[in-house]
Amino acid sequence: MSRSVILETRGLSKAFGGLVAVDKVDLSVETSKITAIIGPNGAGKTTLFNLVTGVYPVSGGEIYFQGKLLNNVPAHKRASLGIVRTFQHVHLFGNMTAVENVMSGQHPRSSYGFFEAALRLPKARREEEAISLNAIKYLNLVGLGTYAEHDALSLPLGQQKLLAIARALATEPRLILLDEPGAGLNTLEKRQLSDLIRSIREMGISVILVEHDMPLVMGIAEWVIVLDSGQKIAEGTAAQIQKNPKVIAAYLGEEVE
Amino acid sequence: MLALLKSKWQYPVIAALLVLLILIPFEGFMSQYTTLMIFIGISTMVTVGLCLLLGYTGQVSLGQAAFYGMGAYFSAVLSKGYGFNPWLAMLIGAAATGAFAYIIGYLIFRLKGNYLAMATLGLGIIMWILFRQLSQFTGGPDGMAGIPFLSIGGFVFDTPFKRYYLVWLFCLVILLISQNIVRSRTGRALRAIRGSEAAAESIGINVDQFKVKIFVLSAVYASLAGSLFVHHLRFVSPDTFNFLASVVLVTMAVVGGLASIWGAIFGAATVRILSEDLLLGLGEWDIAIYGLILMVIMIFMPEGLFVKLKEIFERLRLRYKRRGAEP
Repeated sequence: MSRSVILETRGLSKAFGGLVAVDKVDLSVETSKITAIIGPNGAGKTTLFNLVTGVYPVSGGEIYFQGKLLNNVPAHKRASLGIVRTFQHVHLFGNMTAVENVMSGQHPRSSYGFFEAALRLPKARREEEAISLNAIKYLNLVGLGTYAEHDALSLPLGQQKLLAIARALATEPRLILLDEPGAGLNTLEKRQLSDLIRSIREMGISVILVEHDMPLVMGIAEWVIVLDSGQKIAEGTAAQIQKNPKVIAAYLGEEVE
Repeated sequence: MLALLKSKWQYPVIAALLVLLILIPFEGFMSQYTTLMIFIGISTMVTVGLCLLLGYTGQVSLGQAAFYGMGAYFSAVLSKGYGFNPWLAMLIGAAATGAFAYIIGYLIFRLKGNYLAMATLGLGIIMWILFRQLSQFTGGPDGMAGIPFLSIGGFVFDTPFKRYYLVWLFCLVILLISQNIVRSRTGRALRAIRGSEAAAESIGINVDQFKVKIFVLSAVYASLAGSLFVHHLRFVSPDTFNFLASVVLVTMAVVGGLASIWGAIFGAATVRILSEDLLLGLGEWDIAIYGLILMVIMIFMPEGLFVKLKEIFERLRLRYKRRGAEP
């Protein structure tokens, strides 16, 4: 395995009863690149995310992250290894403010526990200070600095999606998986999102995104992987993918711009 | 802006309440409420645990009276039956109850979905039956009397006046600890679990483990409250810890504002006063009233009565402020 590969899957499969959602997929995702996974509905994109982040156990095959076998690592431990995701349906913590949402993201980068919290020991106070400073930093990064004290769910959808990305970045990941970050955004918001994704890559974080919005994908993705019915049918640069007859067939006449 | 207004009044109000709390049991002031206040303090301790569990973490326990009862019976049986030092008995009770809650939580939280409500419902009923049936230890349905007072050195907590301060010291310490937890990394993790378990897991929060920990903490709070209860009343019987008692405790948490630590005092006080003065004549109908209170609050003010009242108060004050600012 070459050094520049951050995520690799070999023969990765997931079956729900008789339905094979992901079928022997071999992936190799390069470090510090923006990789897009596209495919028609039901192609297995989100299931793939759920396997990589440990929401489901795999049915077959292996997942390697920076050369380390992930299969049996529990979901909550993958964040401290450096894998984080966002959700198609945002999943913000509605009972918190924007900044508290981002502060929660610092969970794997802090360590003080129940006892230190209960007695407000120096370690707790020291870490809390770092946590809030970092949270503000990530809020500013996504351009939500002025909304720190707003209730998370009082923000419009576009900002909620940015907030979810800030929360994910606060875990200080090596790899971030974005599940349809562009869904529900207007043109301006999509442009801001593209810029943000590029600047995340500039920070040295590898990005994998699942996205239906083809102009968005083709504009930012440096590598595109196409899934159909759980199988990988093509991969390549955006230009190569757009000309690939298999891809065009998979989309059944849907235009791949 | 709101935070600024709050900070200006926060400390004077807290100081005034604290002075009131200290003065209550004095003869000629409000000493007729001393006993009531002792019960309110004890109930508050259990309620805070439920607030952490239910309001912050979103996990329902319908059997909190079981842990309350375990603390009570450990203290009663060990200190009276076996001559243990009451403080040691209290400590053993809290440790045993916590360990017991850990085992239950460990088994239950591996299952997805709200199995805790069902499991604790069953637990509450089983413990109540055990308190009745293990009569060679517990005195059976008639209960146990003559439980010794707590004491420190030669100082015996033999009057309500003294016990009032003991109970409220415990209560305030638990409230402060809980407040610190809520405002910490742990508190955020708990709220994250209530907000979205999937998202909590995705940012590295060990959801099952935090649920178990907070469940254990709530059980320990309840156990300590139970111990204080028996050393105050010097009598214990199973019916204090039946299913109705668990419902009353949940009602206190809900009235108090689920996600509010200090609201627990308000919840415990309101329900306690209601049950002592207003519902006593209703006999067995009181459970219907608790049900009604729970329903109305959950439908119209899911954040709890205390939080709702705080909101209304805040709005009124802002309106008053604004009017005052106009020329």
